[in-house]
Amino acid sequence: MDLINVENLKKDYFNDGVATPVLHGVNFKIDKGEFVAIMGPSGSGKSTLMHILSFLDRPTGGSYYFEGKDTKGFSDDYLAELRNERIGFVFQSFNLLARTTVLDNVKLPLVYSKKKDQDILAKKALESVGLGHRLDYFTNQISGGEKQRVAIARALVCEPAVIFADEPTGNLDSKSGNTVMYILQQLNDQGHTIILVTHEQDTANHAKRIIRIKDGNIITDDKVKERTIATPEKELVK
Amino acid sequence: MYKALQQSVKALRANPARTFLTTLGIIIGISTVILVLSAGAGFRSLINQQVGAFGSNTLFIQTKVPPTTKSLASASAGGLGGGSDMGGVVITTLNQRDLDNVKQLGNVSGDYGMVIGQSVISYGDIDKSVLYYGSGAAKFSIDEHTLQSGRLYTQAEDDGAAQVVILGSQLATDLFPQGNALGNLVKIGTLNFQIIGVYAPQGFAGGGTADDSAYMPLGTAQKKMLGINYLAIAVVQLENPNLGAATAASITEVLQRDHNITDPAKDDFSVETEAQALSTFNIIFNGLTALLIAIAAISLIVGGVGIMNIMYVVVTERTAEIGLKKALGAKNKDILNEFLIESILVTVIGGIFGVLLGGLLGWLVSIIATHAGLTWVFSVPLYAIALAVGVSAVIGIGFGVLPARSAAKMDPIEALRYE
Ligand SMILES: Nc1ncnc2c1ncn2[C@@H]1O[C@H](COP(=O)(O)OP(=O)(O)O)[C@@H](O)[C@H]1O
Ligand SMILES: [Mg+2]
Repeated sequence: MDLINVENLKKDYFNDGVATPVLHGVNFKIDKGEFVAIMGPSGSGKSTLMHILSFLDRPTGGSYYFEGKDTKGFSDDYLAELRNERIGFVFQSFNLLARTTVLDNVKLPLVYSKKKDQDILAKKALESVGLGHRLDYFTNQISGGEKQRVAIARALVCEPAVIFADEPTGNLDSKSGNTVMYILQQLNDQGHTIILVTHEQDTANHAKRIIRIKDGNIITDDKVKERTIATPEKELVK
Repeated sequence: MYKALQQSVKALRANPARTFLTTLGIIIGISTVILVLSAGAGFRSLINQQVGAFGSNTLFIQTKVPPTTKSLASASAGGLGGGSDMGGVVITTLNQRDLDNVKQLGNVSGDYGMVIGQSVISYGDIDKSVLYYGSGAAKFSIDEHTLQSGRLYTQAEDDGAAQVVILGSQLATDLFPQGNALGNLVKIGTLNFQIIGVYAPQGFAGGGTADDSAYMPLGTAQKKMLGINYLAIAVVQLENPNLGAATAASITEVLQRDHNITDPAKDDFSVETEAQALSTFNIIFNGLTALLIAIAAISLIVGGVGIMNIMYVVVTERTAEIGLKKALGAKNKDILNEFLIESILVTVIGGIFGVLLGGLLGWLVSIIATHAGLTWVFSVPLYAIALAVGVSAVIGIGFGVLPARSAAKMDPIEALRYE
């Protein structure tokens, strides 16, 4: 069973009654355990696609099967539950809560779940990204690279079926960006499914497969032949 | 729900200064309500206590100008001489004969008449304008009286129009700063009076014993001071206070017969039981309380609108946070609850501070009143606290629901993009 299966997926935006087509009917499948990069120039529809795949938005045409089920009839509340339990998000601008500790940020998805032992889960997630020593820091007291690692811990904490990372290195220097890619590769090695959205070939090369998209159409969908393996910062080597 | 509460507390703690300012309108409104209710309870206790000083088993007969007729009244030269003085008309028909007839009634165990006058009292080179009460000596077996020194006047002194006087405590101090009032002669108007007693401080002018007034026998005041033979007020003591209404009706009949009145609308007197006097007071007082509460309610509404305003700002400010929470799995109702609880918390916190502040102000009022010599019981009625907290929670819901709903309906993608 495919984790994700989209058939002729379309998205039009409506502004003042005028429809602007952004996705023109895309088809692909993603299996459990894959590491896929969705790549394309700015404005090509990558984020739009990611929002639909991660249940933040709904398509205006075609079908989206998630874990074998057609998502068409899903209610808003059920989509929220899916986002909470099955999806992890990593955003370009980190999107951490200000004036809030690292630990509380990672616990945020748990607030909306029924999971027990939330402190333990959040600490474990932070340790897995090498931030076990920053639990009580406030988010304005840590570096950009550390912020994105907090965001990754937050994406992991509910043990999702798939992690979406939209330009996760876009706001980082190359060294911190490298660390983030290293962590994503590690997570994929441990069996996590990862979908990376980026407009940079170098970043996309860290994935195992690249879906290239332009003007709302898929133009290529290939395995990465010479995959880049990220090297960790010294502090992360155990 | 508990988690929504935690999220709300975190949000409020993140900005304590604004939380405080947001609550200010509620604090003012609620503290006004509490102050009004607390001071009201104190004032009511004072009035009840003062009315109680007459003894709970008394009726009052007061003269009054009948609304339609002038034939029973004679033109007055003015002054407080006695009788009811309205628009230059003085009622002169209430007299000792009426009281003697009333005293024959079954349930009546005693009565006395009273006149009130104003004059100048002097001792040595001290002059003071003074209100004096002339009351029948029977008064002392009907009302409560506490002397600081000396004695009360006797029935014989009343009958003989003796020139004796009891001073209110303040008046005694004013005239005799050394405190040696007793036995001295003072001049009231043109006559010399011997001071036979000084009252203990009474505070409020309840039982006709204000501290800066003078008290003399009824006969003396009528014959020597005012040159009249009628009464202004009479106090009737009842054997069984439960039969007060029936006795009041009998008294009314007696007086109508004495005064040749056939049409009750032309009564030149009124008979009031203490309960009636109290209920008249209570009606006025409740009206006043309602008015003040209405003013407080306006301030609460203003406070509520202020909270709504701030909550809208807060929702806009936290757009990105709302988008993030939705992306991470918050449902619309989770967001709605968080913001609703936040505004309820703000108002309830404001309500609690309002109760404390209002209670403090009420307590200050009681201290001031006590210093002024009043018997003032400080209390904050429990229902007032429950009301205040309940009202503020309702305001929190009422004015918080629109901003909370606008937060809940936000599109997570738009909200995530918001910086
Ligand atoms: N809410 C929207 N309304 C109208 N057009 C939109 C909206 N969001 C995105 N677009 C348009 O859709 C296209 C694709 O946007 P997006 O998916 O964000 O591209 P990418 O992430 O690849 O840069 C762009 O032309 C963008 O202007
Ligand atoms: Mg994008």
